[in-house]
Amino acid sequence: MTDFKALLRLLTENQVEFIIVGGAAATVHGSARLTLDLDIVYRRSDDNISRLVNSLSSIQPYLRGAPPGLPFEWSTRTLKMGLNFPLITSFGALDLLGEIVGGGSYEELLPETIKVEIAGVDCRCLNLERLIQVKRAAGRPKDLEVVAELQSILEERGE
Amino acid sequence: MRGANEGLAPANYKDPLIEAFKKGVDVTLIRENLRLTVDQRFQQLMKLQEVAEELRRAGRKARLQK
Repeated sequence: MTDFKALLRLLTENQVEFIIVGGAAATVHGSARLTLDLDIVYRRSDDNISRLVNSLSSIQPYLRGAPPGLPFEWSTRTLKMGLNFPLITSFGALDLLGEIVGGGSYEELLPETIKVEIAGVDCRCLNLERLIQVKRAAGRPKDLEVVAELQSILEERGE
Repeated sequence: MRGANEGLAPANYKDPLIEAFKKGVDVTLIRENLRLTVDQRFQQLMKLQEVAEELRRAGRKARLQK
């Protein structure tokens, strides 16, 4: 099980700059679908990568789905060499995304976010309109139902 | 430089395929969720995860007992 609130608290308390995207962002906007991981787009500045590495080091991040025993060094070097990291941690599944299809980087997405309070901390979340666009751009069959639900939410909100 | 959202259809674009999927959306659940705070929505999501995990455990146990 993923403890969304604990993960968000940990990241925020360590001043990590990130944006909630994916299924958790859909939950923010009122989706009734079950999601099992927290997807975030993180800022790829040196300072932020350091904060990200420090914040998660206490919850044993490891590559999700990797064969047991595969060497994985959780470090700023690893993060700088890669972009997207699907992780399993002691707080649950966390996907670190440097960029997303149809959305781009943290800096590109930031103007299209809203501030939300979750578990007593302020977080940035992709707005509903942009979330629909990136889900559609991802083009995965499983996202068709998600986009249908998100558009229904948009209509319920009268937008 | 091209913007990341350049060329993307607007969020409210009526795609016939998506419109077909909308027929399966339970709007009553959406209305219930929209009445909740964001914090309450996450609380509900985590409870749902617990239930899903419990159901998986029960399924595994039943398969082993066969």
